[in-house]
Amino acid sequence: MDDLIREFLIESQDGLDRMEQCLTELEDRAQDAELLAEIFRSVHTIKGTTGFLGFSRLEKLSHAGENLLGLLRDGKVQASGEMITALLELLDGLRAILQSIEVTESEGNAGEDAEMIARLQAMAERSLAMAASEIPQKKRQRKRQVKKREAAAESRERGLPEAKPAAAKQKLASFAEEPRIVHSGAAESTLRVDIGLLNRIMNLVGELVLTRNQILQAHSAEGGFAPLARRLDMVTADLREAVMKARMQPVSHVFSKFPRLVRDLSQQLSKPVRLELDGQETELDKSLLEAIKDPLTHSVRNAIDHGIEAAEVRQAAGKDPEGLLRLSARQQGSYVIVEVTDDGGGIRVERIRDKAIERGLITPQKAAQLSDRELLQLIFLPGFSTADKVTNVSGRGVGMDVVRTNVERIGGKVELDSRPGRGTTLRLSIPLTLAIIPALIVRSRGQSFALPQGALFELVHLTSEQAREQVEWIENAPLYRLRGRLLPLVFLDRLLAGQDAGNRDACYIAVLYADGRRYGLVVDGLADPEEIVVKPLSSVLKRIGLFSGATVMGNGEMALILDPGAIAARGGIGLNAEEQEEAHAERISSSSGSEFLLVEAGDEEAALPLEDVLRIERLPRARVERIGHSPVLQFGGSLLPLEDRAGILADGEGAEAEITVVVWRHGSRHVGVTVRQVLDVAKGSPLRYAGRGDFAPGVTLLKARITGVIEVERVPELIEAVEIAQ
Amino acid sequence: MSAARPAELSFTPAEGGIEMCSVRVGETLFGVPIMRILEILDAPVTRPVPLAPAYIGGLVHYRGEILTAVSLRTLLGMAAHAEPQDLLVFEGKDGYFGLLVDAVGEVRTVSPQEFEPNPSTLEDSRKALFAGAYKLADRLLVMLDPARFDPVQLAQGQLSR
Repeated sequence: MDDLIREFLIESQDGLDRMEQCLTELEDRAQDAELLAEIFRSVHTIKGTTGFLGFSRLEKLSHAGENLLGLLRDGKVQASGEMITALLELLDGLRAILQSIEVTESEGNAGEDAEMIARLQAMAERSLAMAASEIPQKKRQRKRQVKKREAAAESRERGLPEAKPAAAKQKLASFAEEPRIVHSGAAESTLRVDIGLLNRIMNLVGELVLTRNQILQAHSAEGGFAPLARRLDMVTADLREAVMKARMQPVSHVFSKFPRLVRDLSQQLSKPVRLELDGQETELDKSLLEAIKDPLTHSVRNAIDHGIEAAEVRQAAGKDPEGLLRLSARQQGSYVIVEVTDDGGGIRVERIRDKAIERGLITPQKAAQLSDRELLQLIFLPGFSTADKVTNVSGRGVGMDVVRTNVERIGGKVELDSRPGRGTTLRLSIPLTLAIIPALIVRSRGQSFALPQGALFELVHLTSEQAREQVEWIENAPLYRLRGRLLPLVFLDRLLAGQDAGNRDACYIAVLYADGRRYGLVVDGLADPEEIVVKPLSSVLKRIGLFSGATVMGNGEMALILDPGAIAARGGIGLNAEEQEEAHAERISSSSGSEFLLVEAGDEEAALPLEDVLRIERLPRARVERIGHSPVLQFGGSLLPLEDRAGILADGEGAEAEITVVVWRHGSRHVGVTVRQVLDVAKGSPLRYAGRGDFAPGVTLLKARITGVIEVERVPELIEAVEIAQ
Repeated sequence: MSAARPAELSFTPAEGGIEMCSVRVGETLFGVPIMRILEILDAPVTRPVPLAPAYIGGLVHYRGEILTAVSLRTLLGMAAHAEPQDLLVFEGKDGYFGLLVDAVGEVRTVSPQEFEPNPSTLEDSRKALFAGAYKLADRLLVMLDPARFDPVQLAQGQLSR
């Protein structure tokens, strides 16, 4: 394609993107001269350039729009909902032509344009006539929602054809898939970079990382190599960071699509919805951004279609008749958290339960045992998608399993939170980048495999004796009792060889959680964890379904990257087993009492909920460093804030003296707690206040003694601590 | 799979000589047009892939990519052996791919006049792989069309069968 035309396409797409954003904003700020001028400029630029390049169809269409926009810009007429709809349709029309130029290098059939041009013209004339007769008075102080509702009602009255927005959306969708055009904020400081080139650089950097790893391992035997290796290490890290940054794009690239979508849906469903966007500047790897586009669109559709109630219902419930949809993004550690929050009716768990029972996904008996939170998670089951009432916008709870699968495929997590009557929050945790991930190298049948750390929860070592005795069987299903709970096992060697490997020596169980399934993967051995560079597999090997890629390790050996979710599915690990487990865990941790780690902290005994304990470390006191006044530990490149309420760090002993740190987890946070020693594991019962009957927080009855529970929530976030320190 | 169609081959014998890289698998000598070969790797390390189709010889690390290597031995129904094999690297539909052969021999120049399509007596499975043969003075050089060994292509063939 001609460079000139290519450039024109990229620029026009940018202009149209901006125009779309401005048009949706115009809805709220109909008088904003700047907005109007900006929209006018976009169309005008297209018109000007097309004439020059000889695209007459584009020129005619944009000319028709320019006329109307000119009137708007000069304040001769007022923007109405109807007008904005028409302008958005014009925008879709222009986009379709641009796409046609890009694909076929011709403008395509001009047949449908005449109608749109006529409509735009009629609208310009009509509104001009109206503006002349109308006395401008009220409008301004009118509340937004009222106006919007009217606009929605108006469009309904006019019998705005339902199919049109849908068709427009299809166009939009197909446009969105176009990969070649790089969207950018178009600010002066940004640069368009060819994705292919970036990928190439990324590959080279990957290679550099591998070389570094090899050197690091080779040098450990000799001496003089070390400074060189360190320097290479530094350069590699810098280069990697720089390149990764180049791949990062603000989430606004995806978020900017939503004002339009929300507007269309809101009109189509006659539900007034206000969209709030937050944290748009948060950056994410380009490919991940692409990957979350569909799940997000899906969630937004769901939220508006099922989450937010009709205005009348909302009013009756005492809520603002205008629904609120909030899209937010923020970075948290090496993850970006994207949330879709609505203030709608929430998800009624009874309905989910009934539906799940009706679909045969769960038995009524089992459903009765599940907590509300667990019932809510049923929505992610494949096959939950029900199709009894498919609206234009989305089916009933359609494809939440797809959302989860898509997000987990890129190493992310999905959580759902819903309060009846108050709304629903869908939380996606997306890793910052995919290209290089931490992984544990495991060995099976003499080959190495990489296991992404994201899915790994803990490791259990079994001696050959333990392997014989402690792996129990129900028929063909191997199980292991992990702290009293049955953990279904998958033997990697059996899975890969398709047959039993016979007698088993010592082995490791990697406890994994993926795709809503919890299981233990049995491997022969472990090697060191490594940061691995993910290389794609050819389609033939992808089709095997168990490997998500391949990598070259520090020693030069190649390893296949295991896909924990797919292995669970192949190994026949059902979601049911996991639900049972969760229900079981829930029972333990709820009223009947949960297990605690009894420790000696300071002068008294304290309890830590065992469920949250990750590991117990003994290490020299000298390892503890400080940020401000907050003690921290460094573990393989990650920071672990320390809680030292027992004052053990302040004890007078020497730096060589060892301290005990219990590492535990709270949500996505890890926190270390210093203790004098670990005493025991015991079952605790909750205590109630005499007379009142409600639970006393922070204490439990352990071995018939009242013991304080260390609550990890109270340990300050490291960032807060740093801020305080400053 | 249809019979060989020499007319459709992208390396249709043209006037003048064609340079062929000769490779050996078992006792058979094969020819691969040298223009199609990106690189020849001398006994690279291969990493087997569990559960992969039999014709997959493993993974090979090649210039920052991990490419899928097809084993000509297993494709021809010969038993795999442990001896190191050489690898021809080609560009395929799905990126680079490799073809493992027992040994790479000399480059020979053949003339289009020596070309003959596959004989009708050849098994269908072989017709699908071979692109015809050149009659050398001392022996036959069986032509291989790299495109037919693209793993993507092979997988499609497997599915349609």
